[in-house]
Amino acid sequence: MTRRLLWIAVALVIWAMLPFVVPRNIADLLVFTGIYTVAGLGIGLLLGHCGIVNLAQATFYGLGAYASAYCTVMMGLPSAVGFVVGAAISMTLAYVIGRPILRLTGYFLALGTLALSAIASALFFEWDWLTGGTLGIGGIPKIDIFGFVLDRPSRYYFFVWIVAFACMAAARNLVDSRTGLMLRAMRDSNTAAASLSIDLQGLRTRVFVVCALFGSLAGSLFAHHVSFVSTQSFTVDRSISFLLIPVIGGATSIPGIVAGAVFVTFLPEFLSNLGDIHQILFGLALVAVVVMLPDGLMGALNRIRARYAARGNRNAD
Amino acid sequence: MTLSLVLQAVFAGVTNGMVYALVGMGLAAIFKGSRVINAMQGEFSVIGAMTTVLLLTKAGWPYPAAILGGSLAGALVGAFIEVAFVRYMAAKNASEDSFLLLTIGLALTLSASILFFVGRDGHLLPPLGGEGVLIVLDAVMQFHALWLIAIGIAVTLLLRAFFHRTTVGLSMMAASIDADGAATTGINVRRMRTFTFILGGLLGAVGGILVTPLIGVDYQLGLNLTLKGFAAAVLGGLTNPLGAAVGGITLGLVESLAIIGISSSYKDVVAFSVLIVIMILMPHGMLGRAGRRGG
Repeated sequence: MTRRLLWIAVALVIWAMLPFVVPRNIADLLVFTGIYTVAGLGIGLLLGHCGIVNLAQATFYGLGAYASAYCTVMMGLPSAVGFVVGAAISMTLAYVIGRPILRLTGYFLALGTLALSAIASALFFEWDWLTGGTLGIGGIPKIDIFGFVLDRPSRYYFFVWIVAFACMAAARNLVDSRTGLMLRAMRDSNTAAASLSIDLQGLRTRVFVVCALFGSLAGSLFAHHVSFVSTQSFTVDRSISFLLIPVIGGATSIPGIVAGAVFVTFLPEFLSNLGDIHQILFGLALVAVVVMLPDGLMGALNRIRARYAARGNRNAD
Repeated sequence: MTLSLVLQAVFAGVTNGMVYALVGMGLAAIFKGSRVINAMQGEFSVIGAMTTVLLLTKAGWPYPAAILGGSLAGALVGAFIEVAFVRYMAAKNASEDSFLLLTIGLALTLSASILFFVGRDGHLLPPLGGEGVLIVLDAVMQFHALWLIAIGIAVTLLLRAFFHRTTVGLSMMAASIDADGAATTGINVRRMRTFTFILGGLLGAVGGILVTPLIGVDYQLGLNLTLKGFAAAVLGGLTNPLGAAVGGITLGLVESLAIIGISSSYKDVVAFSVLIVIMILMPHGMLGRAGRRGG
């Protein structure tokens, strides 16, 4: 136990030093990693605990970002209002749409959420009185906390990651709670869970709403980081790259989500040094992960650890 | 809303719908044969169309030979995907989701490859049957669109005959319905799965080549065609390649009627909303359970 605490302490120290020792562009990527972790956590909950492929996260990401942009730039309200408004709209929408759409299963549900993302991205484009269309909304102010302005990646880093840690704790609590037990029952056997009078439909909807909340928070964080939002950021492609986060890292593991977020933010950036070929390499890297590591990076790590431990035991005998 | 406007919308809807139908039929054929949702179906269309463009303009092949070459390119890529990736993953009992992600990854790779090797410009192909147009009650239809619809119908009928009359087609059906049973009667189930990918690649490529003279082809076309083809296949019941033809035309008509009824910018919104509603209300597609017998 003490060893575990030691590890956590070391990790925290590294985490706190990181933005000061790396160059600015890396600090910027670390901020994005935090934002993507928040968005990916929701998808991981749906994928890992309900078996739902959610290809609509860019919708809620967009809602959060536009809510923050509209509230702060157009209405001059404090940035906290944007976060709350975005979350409220996203959760309401997720509830209203989730009820009917989550009756679908498997591929049909995946397509349903993909269709949702395509509809939202068309509406973001068309409702330019609200979203600014392709011209977007610029000049979104940086967040300031009692006069301390988070105007540098190294400062914003801490804000984003504290939100991310809070979301991780919330996700962990949800999984360990009564709801989590119901989720586990549902994943193992739908019929058995239903016979224990677990409301499967309501349960799925609840997780979908949580996923939308995380998506919206990530969107608001994104808007305040880049201070400019336009329709290009919330397309179907973005929904796909969000889905990759839990898939690459491992959907049921929280460190896995962070690993997935690191993968989708850092890899394209590093590959882009190689010139225009980087998009091909990213696609191939994704294919390689799917083919060779079917349960994600964390799954592969656990397998290696298990093999190592088994060997250690044998030597001890 | 005048009659000629409605007629114009119907023309456009059937034309686009036939393209969605071809892409959707390929998707449904692959799903039926291998239980893989192929998220790179639209890339088959892009590969077919791009190859045709390059053979015609760079290599100087005659148009019919270039079309044949483009269609074969789609079929070859289909075969390659099956042999190189799907076979390996199926042997490891990969989950449904990982096949979906595999094809998403391949779609990203192919689209990026076309951007890298061909460039971001769009390319057109010359229309079949010349530049002429047919005018009915002031509604205009290009000769090429007529060719597209005729070829689409011919392909649909041929596909039906293929699945019902030929030994290979019947074997493919048998392998997809009951793999073990088919294997005991001497059908090579693995080879049948390769054939379904070849068929899917071919159908996608034909759809892509036929739509290029109307809207052009570029590296981004694939995702949109995949979405619409997927929608067409689901409307038709997903396991029935011929249902995808009905689904595609319905989708095309809904889209073009939405354009004249509401606004051109809402066509995707309407088309995808209809898709969601139909999936929820009619889980077996528009043809119902009976539709599943079709192919």
